[in-house]
Amino acid sequence: MSVKAFGIVSSPDQSIHVEGLQDYRPIGAFSFLGRFRVIDFPISNMSNSDINRIQVYVRTRPRSIAEHVGSGRHYNINSKRGKIQLLFSENSSSRSIYNNDISAYMENLDIIQRMHQDYVIIAPSYMVYKQDYRQLLDAHVASGADVTLLYHKVDNAREYFKNCYTISVNKQKGVQSIEKNLGTANSKNIFMETYCMKRDVFVELVKAASWTSSVYTLSDIVNIKCKDMDVRAYQHRGYFATLTSLEDYYNASMELLDYNIASDLFRAEWPIYTRTTDSCPTQYFDSSKVTGSFVSNGCNIEGNIDNSIIGRSVVVKKGAVIKNSIIMAYATIEEGVHIENAIVDKWAHIIHAKNIRGEADAPLYIKRQDTL
Amino acid sequence: MAQNEMLAMILAGGRGSRLKDLTTKVAKPAVFYGGKYRIIDFPLSNCANSGIDVVGVLTQYESVLLNSYVAQDGRWGLDSKDSGVYVLTPREKADEGLDVYRGTADAISQNIDFIDNYDPEYLLILSGDHIYKMNYAKMLDYHKEMKADATIAVRPVPMREASRFGIMNTDGKGHIVEFEEKPAKPKSNLASMGIYIFSWKQLRKLLVEDMKDQNSDHDFGKNIIPQMLSEKKNLIAYEFKGYWKDVGTIDSLWEANMDLLDPKNPLNLNDSSWLIYTEDISTLPQYIGKEAKVKKAYITQGVRVEGNVTNSVLFTGAVVAKGAKVTDSVLMPGAVIEEGATVTRALVAENVRIGKKARVGSKNSENIELVAKNIKGGAK
Repeated sequence: MSVKAFGIVSSPDQSIHVEGLQDYRPIGAFSFLGRFRVIDFPISNMSNSDINRIQVYVRTRPRSIAEHVGSGRHYNINSKRGKIQLLFSENSSSRSIYNNDISAYMENLDIIQRMHQDYVIIAPSYMVYKQDYRQLLDAHVASGADVTLLYHKVDNAREYFKNCYTISVNKQKGVQSIEKNLGTANSKNIFMETYCMKRDVFVELVKAASWTSSVYTLSDIVNIKCKDMDVRAYQHRGYFATLTSLEDYYNASMELLDYNIASDLFRAEWPIYTRTTDSCPTQYFDSSKVTGSFVSNGCNIEGNIDNSIIGRSVVVKKGAVIKNSIIMAYATIEEGVHIENAIVDKWAHIIHAKNIRGEADAPLYIKRQDTL
Repeated sequence: MAQNEMLAMILAGGRGSRLKDLTTKVAKPAVFYGGKYRIIDFPLSNCANSGIDVVGVLTQYESVLLNSYVAQDGRWGLDSKDSGVYVLTPREKADEGLDVYRGTADAISQNIDFIDNYDPEYLLILSGDHIYKMNYAKMLDYHKEMKADATIAVRPVPMREASRFGIMNTDGKGHIVEFEEKPAKPKSNLASMGIYIFSWKQLRKLLVEDMKDQNSDHDFGKNIIPQMLSEKKNLIAYEFKGYWKDVGTIDSLWEANMDLLDPKNPLNLNDSSWLIYTEDISTLPQYIGKEAKVKKAYITQGVRVEGNVTNSVLFTGAVVAKGAKVTDSVLMPGAVIEEGATVTRALVAENVRIGKKARVGSKNSENIELVAKNIKGGAK
């Protein structure tokens, strides 16, 4: 069964930059919890919600996303009845302020207008959560609203969610404004940059934004229009993470080391799909000591790991110690190296630097393919 | 390799009855091995990695699961245009009443029409229940080089064990001069691996004759190979020196799993140039809990360990709860070892639950204990 909506996975604009990691790939292609990539979450949510036409917008460095998403078959998208399209912003450079979501939609407006589905669900490629979009769509249709926005209530907005938008809602769940989170209060409704609306309304909003200002984003135009349009809010519950800074990425990952939180995000009835690498199981040696960690397949572990996330095919040699860290795929941690509060990017080789320590609130980043 | 130069046929009809309860509902090729695989993943992945495009899988015994498993040919990358994995079960035919495969050769004979569709130059015959990595393209090169009519893969076994195998006696230059099934006094230690390359036109002729022979067992080892030898055909032994296991019993299946615990094991499933492909399952990565102790283990995605695991292989979704101890054991997919339970020298079957504080298996047992039913907590 397919629903009457198509999906759009959106790209963050140039105001968002995650230190280090984003030099190599867009946030959607970040490794997450060892064996996933961030974009697996919005696409799996859509696939599980019976949305089988999906457009993925890629603003910069398309290689890793294109390779990972591919035909979309691993997301259970049937190639005859459904399709995943990768759409690129071609007319402006990646760092340009003009290269935002609206300009990407304008470039591909004919494709959007040709979609058969009457509704569109737009979800960001830089946030992690689980949501049945059929429920969002049903609520949207039932309310008769023009636009419905997904939000998450938080009580730590002073410290976290710095790059996010907040929404203020009235008692009838009507949205009154969308604003950048300025950290003025702890209790806030964080806008999950997820929209549900009719395709025609979406096209009108995109055109209106583009005519009004070349740098307007979709959230800008919805903020302006919510005075005279019926824009409602729909509350999300459960695990929610934004990955718009290195600290946020680190904290979101560490939070999932609580198995109860992780198993709530990964339910058998709501699978998160990813591309398999066909790596074999992980080998633990006689000398290994591993506690409180998620470990991906294909690793060789001789050393010590505590409270960490280990990507695929990582090698941890005898006597190495990894604590409160994220080690990405194909990294090698040699004998006697001590790593704490760090994010080690793919293919890094830690051999000479024996002591790599970041702070719990400021993790250290080690570059992709770097030898230390 | 040119398109369909060589077609592969995998014999996957056997029950493997010495595997006891593991094969009451599934055929032996579908039995789990190595943390995340089924045995038939090995010949299928070998085919895919050797550049063979079309594979027929001949199933018979309890074939429902096996048929649906191998039909998903995308798993092994055998789903591009002009390639595929085809399930061939016995079928009723218009002119004869055959409905089962009477022997290994008969299984091929009954599918001559399927093979003819592809008009291959060579036919590769494989067994669906062996664990090994082998490049069949190299074997075909050798077949051509030796101008063979048939090439049979052999491996050296210890001389004292040779009487348990089908033994190929050669002239020292690779030419097979005699084949002896389980000889009392073996003259050679080259055991047949049940892997054959035939020139299809020749084999086709022999199979058609064999079908008509009332006294034949319709078996490659008993009939076809001896027939070819009596006709003085050029039969070549192709020596294979890598890891190879026919896991016929619970003990040998356990042992083959234990082999993987040696990081230098010769099967090396971590070789990215020769991957073994299998079903892709959506799960969390493996989680090793705060109080867990894991030493010398082979563990795959979706496993959760809160207790102690030593010298063991854990399959997808297996759970070892707090205070549980798993030693020298194999936990198949979804096996759950509850709090405080002890599992020693055992093979716990798929989705079996070992209750709280139960004890299964023992350190000094002669044989590995197969646990195929749930065990209640507290006592055994």
